[in-house]
Amino acid sequence: MKKLIVIFLVTILLSACSNEANDKIRIGSVVTTESQIIAYIVKGMLEYYTDEEVELINNLGSSVVLHQAMLNGDANISAVRYTGTDLTGTLKQEPISDPQKALAAVQRLFQDEFQMTFFDSYGFNNTYAFMVTQETAKQYGLEKISDLKDMASELQVGVDTSWMNREGDGYEGFVETYGFDFGRVFPMQIGLVYNAVSQNEVDVVLGYTTDGRIASYDLVVLEDDLQFFPPYDASPFADTDLLEEKPEVSKALQRLVGKISTEEMQRLNFLADNNLIEPAVVAEEFLKENEYFSGDDTP
Amino acid sequence: MIGFFTENSADILLKTWEHFYISFSALLLGVVIAVPLGILLSKTKKIAKIVLTVTSVLQTVPSLALLAIMIPFLGVGKVPAIVALCIYSLLPILNNTFIGMQSVNQNIKAAGTAMGMTPMQSMRMVELPLAMPIIMSGIRLSAVYVISWATLASYIGAGGLGDFIFNGLNLYKTELIVGGALLVTALALLVDFLLSRFERFMIPKGLRMQGGRTS
Amino acid sequence: MTDMTQLSVVEQFFFYMRENGSYVFSQFLAHFQLSVYGVLLASVIGIPLGIWISKFPKASGPVITLANIIQTIPALALMAIIMLVLGLGKTTVIVTVFFYSLLPIVKNTFVGIRNIDRSLTDAGRGMGMTKFQILYMVELPLSLSVIITGIRIALVVAIGIVAIGAFIGAGGLGDIIIRGTNATSGTAIILAGALPTAIMAIMADVLLLWLEKRLDPTKRKKLRVAA
Repeated sequence: MKKLIVIFLVTILLSACSNEANDKIRIGSVVTTESQIIAYIVKGMLEYYTDEEVELINNLGSSVVLHQAMLNGDANISAVRYTGTDLTGTLKQEPISDPQKALAAVQRLFQDEFQMTFFDSYGFNNTYAFMVTQETAKQYGLEKISDLKDMASELQVGVDTSWMNREGDGYEGFVETYGFDFGRVFPMQIGLVYNAVSQNEVDVVLGYTTDGRIASYDLVVLEDDLQFFPPYDASPFADTDLLEEKPEVSKALQRLVGKISTEEMQRLNFLADNNLIEPAVVAEEFLKENEYFSGDDTP
Repeated sequence: MIGFFTENSADILLKTWEHFYISFSALLLGVVIAVPLGILLSKTKKIAKIVLTVTSVLQTVPSLALLAIMIPFLGVGKVPAIVALCIYSLLPILNNTFIGMQSVNQNIKAAGTAMGMTPMQSMRMVELPLAMPIIMSGIRLSAVYVISWATLASYIGAGGLGDFIFNGLNLYKTELIVGGALLVTALALLVDFLLSRFERFMIPKGLRMQGGRTS
Repeated sequence: MTDMTQLSVVEQFFFYMRENGSYVFSQFLAHFQLSVYGVLLASVIGIPLGIWISKFPKASGPVITLANIIQTIPALALMAIIMLVLGLGKTTVIVTVFFYSLLPIVKNTFVGIRNIDRSLTDAGRGMGMTKFQILYMVELPLSLSVIITGIRIALVVAIGIVAIGAFIGAGGLGDIIIRGTNATSGTAIILAGALPTAIMAIMADVLLLWLEKRLDPTKRKKLRVAA
């Protein structure tokens, strides 16, 4: 009996050691709901189409940590990377407002500098946008940001704390481009802005275009007519070495390109943020509904 | 690395103070609840087992879970942190007070009563001083726990030295992580050391125990 | 579709569990697995270490002091430092658990063996047992209960540490807790993460406590071989 216990324990220990083999695929994800949903979608696709062991490195604090994780080898795939964030943040370039040019730039720079592949977009753009309630929009005939100009000095605006000091596409840049500033600006945690505007605590807020709460609070997204905010097209992202060693991984990721629209991402985010469904479960249902995108068999 | 300390000196002072404030408040609250409760339990042994089991169970709960559970009820900030840490500090103090009071030699107590002491006097002049070494030992243990776990409290907005570590993790800034870790470890070790000295000081002169530590 | 915000927290909690039950369960298992790996590793190294210092008392001072100091370091701090060396993810968490499990296991092994009545080991020697036989047939069985106490303490601490591991990408039930704290009305989610974690720790404590009592030779009513 004692021998059995010893063998049992040693087996567990050995399996623990083998678990740390570095051949696994590790998908890095930041702490946002969106990133986590995409991460589980990628995981699901990889597990469906390949025999690889896939692990998630989740809840990373920011895109900086995610990049560092890729550099360290702690992750070899990033769930989702955004052209805007990576261009100005990671690659330290000037912002580019043309989405095609921005994408081309990040693709070239990541391959040259880091040997990492920035895929073509999933199909959604998660950028900053000003939003108002339906009533406000109707009352003042608001469709685009420039429509706010006349009453700007009376407006109370809620924004993400970090936006106030952002270089390039922050408040300063906004005032320069649009030529007006706001009566009062309230910095707050990004998660709180949607509620704040729907409860009329503020008149306008700056939120993210794929947030599920836009649909749940029936908010109106104002058009960025002067194209101030750079594009934040979202794409899969991976170590080029990994893709070359394991072409099935590359093919599986390629299947996701262009398959998730901004509206679809909003819907998925809504399920997770509003309906209490875990990103892992949202991802699984999404993949099943779409039959793992097996229809399109050309890589 | 030195840069971390020079650039952030104001923050370091503030957060060390916050950390100390949360820990001290939690510990004080814990002592105020657990010592009288422990004395009470030592007199009424029937419910002692239940109360001790409940506190023991509370201590088993992982601290992140306990801190997070406070949020729906008390929001974020220092208050929920102090409450959660106070709950954590209860068991060692309660346990040690209970055991300490029980371990007072019955003969000495009897001698006191024979001299005409009231129960209160017996408590004040005989039992508590004799139980004090063990009680202090429990308080010291709790203090070290609390300082340690207060690091996590920054996650629910309580401030403290944990802020450096969390910021470091979120921005991948090595100096913040190392600096924060060093500071909080130094604080924990310092408190442990100071309290062990204090413990020895609290032992009534007639009773310097060999070794001193009883837990 | 029911408006989630209209439901009470309790209703939200049960809804959450129905929808995400298998996810919660898989995180529960992953969490437990990480805790066990770390404690097991610490046992494999810590028990022999404890035995060794019980035979060489001079070494016991420094070893136990070192383990004590490790114990005083706040878990988040040590984990973050180890992360800088070993990277993000599960390995770092297992190593952190290992370090925090050392003190309870080493100290309890040490104390357990030292506290054995000399007459029992003498009897063994008198019967002609080798040192190894004495260890294997007298000292370890008699100190097993105390060693398991050490493992019990280590496992409970481990479960708490693995919860923090979510901050460095290791997953587990901490993922759910983090999601709950970030969501605007995430009370149900926080509970969905915190309660299973608490229950895991409590159950581990209770089960090992039971095992301890069963294995304690002085408390057994009948002499039973520890199965």
